[in-house]
Amino acid sequence: MTHLPRRPGTGAIVSLVCLALACAPAPHQTLASATPVSAAATPTPPDRDYFVFVASEGNDQISLVKFGAGGARVARERKIGTNPTELVGPHGLYVSPDGKWYYVSTAHGTPNGALWKFSTANDEQVGRVELGRFPATVQVAPNGHYAWVVNFNLYGDMVPSSVSVVYTDQMLEVRRIPTCVMPHGSRLSPDGSRQYSACMMNDELVEIDTRKLAVSRRFMLRKGEERGIDGALSAAGGAPAPHDGHGTVAPTCSPTWAQPSVDGRIIWVACNKANDLVEIDGGTWTMRRRIPAGDGIYNLAASPDGRLVVGTNKRGKSVSVIESASGREIARIPTTRRVPSGLVISPDSRYAFVTQEGVGSEPGAVDVIDLRALTRVASVDLGQQAGGIDFWKSEAAAH
Amino acid sequence: MLHFGVLPLLALALQQPTELPPSPVKRIEVRPSTRTITAGDSVQLDVRALDANGAPVPGAVLYAKMLGGEGEGTIRPESFWLVASSVGKFPLAFSALVPGTLPFVDTTSVEFDGVPGPAVRVEVNPSAVTIVDGQSLRLSALPFSKANDRTLDSVRWRSSDPKVVAVDPAGLITGLATGHARLTASVGGAKGGVDVRVVPSTFSRLTLKPARPAVRQGDVVSFAVEARDGAGKVVSDLTPTWSFSPGDGELGPDGHFVAYRPGAYAVTATLGRRSASTTVTVRERDVRRSVTVVGRLPRTGFATSEVWIHPNGKVAYLGTHQGGDRVYAIDIGDPGKPVVVDSIMANTRLVNDMQTTADGNYMVFTREGAADRKNGIVIADTHDPLHPKEVSQFVDGVAAGVHSVYIYENPQYGKYVFITNDGTGAIDIVNITDPAHPTRAGEWRTDRPDASRYVHDLDIVDGVLYASYWNDGLVILDIGNGKWGGRPDKPVLVSQFKYNLDSLYKDVEDVSHPGFTRGTHTAWRQRGGHYVFIADEVYLNGQVEGAKDASSSRMFGTLQVVDVSDIEHPKSVAWYTPEMGGVHNVWQVADTLYLGAYDAGFHVFDISGELKGDLRAQHREIASLNTADMGGVVPNAAFDWGVVVNPKDGLAYVNDFNNGLWVVRVNPKKPTTPMIP
Repeated sequence: MTHLPRRPGTGAIVSLVCLALACAPAPHQTLASATPVSAAATPTPPDRDYFVFVASEGNDQISLVKFGAGGARVARERKIGTNPTELVGPHGLYVSPDGKWYYVSTAHGTPNGALWKFSTANDEQVGRVELGRFPATVQVAPNGHYAWVVNFNLYGDMVPSSVSVVYTDQMLEVRRIPTCVMPHGSRLSPDGSRQYSACMMNDELVEIDTRKLAVSRRFMLRKGEERGIDGALSAAGGAPAPHDGHGTVAPTCSPTWAQPSVDGRIIWVACNKANDLVEIDGGTWTMRRRIPAGDGIYNLAASPDGRLVVGTNKRGKSVSVIESASGREIARIPTTRRVPSGLVISPDSRYAFVTQEGVGSEPGAVDVIDLRALTRVASVDLGQQAGGIDFWKSEAAAH
Repeated sequence: MLHFGVLPLLALALQQPTELPPSPVKRIEVRPSTRTITAGDSVQLDVRALDANGAPVPGAVLYAKMLGGEGEGTIRPESFWLVASSVGKFPLAFSALVPGTLPFVDTTSVEFDGVPGPAVRVEVNPSAVTIVDGQSLRLSALPFSKANDRTLDSVRWRSSDPKVVAVDPAGLITGLATGHARLTASVGGAKGGVDVRVVPSTFSRLTLKPARPAVRQGDVVSFAVEARDGAGKVVSDLTPTWSFSPGDGELGPDGHFVAYRPGAYAVTATLGRRSASTTVTVRERDVRRSVTVVGRLPRTGFATSEVWIHPNGKVAYLGTHQGGDRVYAIDIGDPGKPVVVDSIMANTRLVNDMQTTADGNYMVFTREGAADRKNGIVIADTHDPLHPKEVSQFVDGVAAGVHSVYIYENPQYGKYVFITNDGTGAIDIVNITDPAHPTRAGEWRTDRPDASRYVHDLDIVDGVLYASYWNDGLVILDIGNGKWGGRPDKPVLVSQFKYNLDSLYKDVEDVSHPGFTRGTHTAWRQRGGHYVFIADEVYLNGQVEGAKDASSSRMFGTLQVVDVSDIEHPKSVAWYTPEMGGVHNVWQVADTLYLGAYDAGFHVFDISGELKGDLRAQHREIASLNTADMGGVVPNAAFDWGVVVNPKDGLAYVNDFNNGLWVVRVNPKKPTTPMIP
C-alpha cells in the first residue's frame, strides 16, 4: 500500500471553500437604507430583445435565454460533452467580442477539465482543448485571439495553480502561468493589457501582464494588511513571512472575483468571506476603500456606463447594486432561487442577468434585474447549477 | 460584443478582433530527434523558436501542449520535461508567442511514442515440451517490462544443442536428433527458458482424443494426443503441433479448440512425420431466446443511474443523474407493476452507485455535484427497505466526489466500504462497523509518476478486490483474503492486468482525434468461476461533423474475459465487442452474463464452460432488448447502464439512463428445428 500524507487541514480548507460558496444560505435581508438611483417606481418593458448564454454545471446543459417584452424564456439549448453518463460540468462561459463564438470551461474530467468552442449561430462545436484541474472563469481578450481561463483546482492539493492562455483561432493552449492557490473570478482590463484573478486561499489579487505572459503585481487583501506584495508566489495560507516562513494563515477575505472598472483605473475584488469589496487603485496599487456588500459576495460586473458595480451574494440569496462613485449600496434585490452565482450586464447598462445554481435537483435560473428601477423583472428556470453566463446580443424586438 | 471600455456603444457593437501581424517565428525545432520515450521514464526536450533564416527569435515565449495521451503521461510546459507513465502516443503541439504578433503554432510535427521499458522478464509458453525427431513446433516468448507492458523487442532464440534441437528466429523449433536441449529466449539480460526433449518417433499408433466430438459453437474441446509404441505402451508427455481446417475458430498450443460456425472441422495433431486427425462436428449453439418486458417504470424527471435490489428481493433502489438528487425506493413485489414508494434525498446532483449490506439493514450511495461542493457518501438505514433514512455521511478527504462503492464485511475485521476518490484517483477505505460513525481506515493508489490516476469501479469477492483502474487496467488487491497478507485497512497488490488501450481502440482515434477518452471502466469477478469480466468506457473526442442528437456520437467499449485461475498471472482469453455501443456494466448469475451496452441496449450471454475467443461470433448471445420507448427523459433512444438480476424472481432489472427501469424476463427456450448450415 502506498502511504501518502493527507493534506493538512483538508477538512478546514474545504470548510472555508464551503463558506465561500454558500453552503448555508442566510435568510433574506432587506437593506432598509437603500434608495434607488432612479426615482422610477415601475420598470418599463424592454423595447429590444436581449440574448444571453448560460452554462448549467449540474446537468451539462447550455441554454440561450431570450429576454424581451414578453419576459424571459429559453430560446435554445444543447448538451455539452459526448458521454452523458460522465458529466463534464460546464462552469464558465464567455462570448467572443465579435459575437460569433461562445466558449465554455468544463470543470470535471479524468482528471482534467477543458475549454470548448461553439458557434453562437447554431451551437456547433468547433473546438476543444484540455486544460488543468477544474477550469473555471473564462474571458476572451478584446483582440479576440486569446481566451484566459483560471484553473481553479478546487479539489486538488493546496499548491499554486495557474491561468491558461488559449489561442482561440486554433483552440490551443499556448501558456499556463502559475499564479496562486485556487485562482477564481478572473477578468481582463478593458484594453486587454492586464488580467486579474482572485486567489481564494491566498487572500491575494494577482495581476498578469498579458504581453509578457507573466505575473506583474500582487495585492494582499487581508483586512489591515492591504498592500502590494513583492516576492515569490505563496502557497496556501498567505504571503510568505520574510523571517520565519512557517505557519499558515486562514483567509479572511477569501476573494472570488476581480472586476476592473470600465476605464481600467480601479479593480474591485469581492471578498466572499468578509462580505465586502476591496477597491484598489490600479495606478498606485493601493487600496482606496472597503465597500460593504451582501452575505457571500461572489461574482461582480461593472455597468458599461460606469455608474454601478453589481455583485451576487451567494449566501444571501440576493444581488447587491452599488454606486461605483460613492460606494453606497443602493439596492439589495432578492433572487428567485438559492445560491446566486454569475452575472452579466447588458451593454446599454439597463439590465443585469443573474444566474442561480439552486440546491439539489431544483432548477437553476436566470433572473433579469432592471438597473433603473432596481427590481427583478423576469426569471426563467434552467438546468441545475446554472452558473457561467455571458451576453450575446440585443436586437430590435420582432413584431 | 465588448462588455467593458469607454467607447461609445456603437463602437462597442462594431468591435472586431484586432488583426495582429504574423509571427516572426517560422519553425519550432524540437530535440531529441528520436521520438520515442520509455514508459516510466522522462526526457527534457530542447525547444527553439527559429526565424526564416534558422536563427533563434529573441523574446519568443515557448510552450508545449499534449494533444493526446494525457492518460499515459504529461509534459511540463515550463521546462519541457516529457513524462511517460505508460505505453502510449504523445502527440505534442508547440507554440511560440512573440508579444504583439500572432502565435506560431506547430501541431503536426512532433509525436512521441511511449514504448515499453526494457524487458526484465520473458514469459515462455510452454515451459517444457517433448517432441519427436523431425517435428516442428512453435514456441511463444513474450517479453515484459518492469511496468508489466509487453515490449516490442525481438526475442533472440538459442538452442543449447543445435544438433538436437534447431530453432529459427521466430521460435520455431525442429527436433533433429534424440536428446535434450535447453532453448533460451532472451531480450537483453532478461531470459526465459524451455526444456525440450526429443524422442525417437517409435510410436506405432497415434490417436486423437476425444474422437469425433460433437459439440456446439463456442464449446471448447480439449484435445489430447495419445501415442503408443509397438508394444502398446503409451508414450507420454508429447507436445504435438496442432492445426485445423476450415479456419473459422481458434486452436491453441494446448490443444484447446473452439469453432465459431456450425459445420465439420478437421483437427490434426502432428508429431514428426506422423499425424492424427479427427473430425469435430459443430452444431448451432442454439441458445437464442426471446424476452418479455414484464414491467416498466419510466422516469422523466431525471436520467437514471445505478439499480440495486435489496436482499429481500421486494425492493429496488434506482439512482438519479444529470441533476438528480435522490435514490428512488421502488416496490417490486409485483414486478409487473413497479412503483416508487419513497425516495431518499441528498445534497447531490448525481448518484452514480449504491449497495446494501448483506443483511439489507444499511445502504451506501455516492454523491457528486453537491450544492456546497462537499461530496462524499451517504449511509442510510434500510431496516424498512422502502423507506431509507440517512444515518450518516462520510466526506473526509472525498470532497471531490465518490463515483463507486463496494461494501466488504469480514467477521474478523469488521465492515468496510471501499470507495473511489474522484480527486486523488485513490481507493479510500472507510470503516462502517458503526454505520452512524464512519471513519477513515486507509487508502490505496497505483504508483504513477504523474497525476493522471483515476479509478472507476470496484468489485470484491472472497476478500480480493478487483479495481477498474482506467489507464492502469485491472488491479487486483488482497483486502482480507490473507493469502497475500492483505487486510481491509492495508491492501496488498496481488497482480495487475494492463493492456494497450490505444491499440485496442485505434478505430476510435481514426474517426475522431487523439486524446479520446478511454479506460478500464468495470470489473466483475465471476462468482463460482475463474474469470473476471472487464469492460472499457470509450467515447469520441469530438462529434460527428454535421450531425446532431443521437447521430452526433456513439459509445464504444469491449468486454474482455480475463482468466484468473492463476490470479498472479491474469490473461485475456475471450472477448465481446458490440457492433454498436459499448459494454457499460455487467451482472453474472451462474452461466449467464447480463450486460448494459449503452446505445446497444441490453444483452444476455451464455458463459457456460470454458471461454475462448470471440463470444459474439460463437453465437453465445442468448437475448437482447432495445431499451428505448417514448417514455423517458430522452424518448426512443436506448442508453443502457446496467442490470441486476433479482434472485427471488429471476428477472433482470435493467436500468436505462435515458428512460428508467425495465423488468425483463428471458423466456424459456422454444424448441426449434436445427438448421442445415
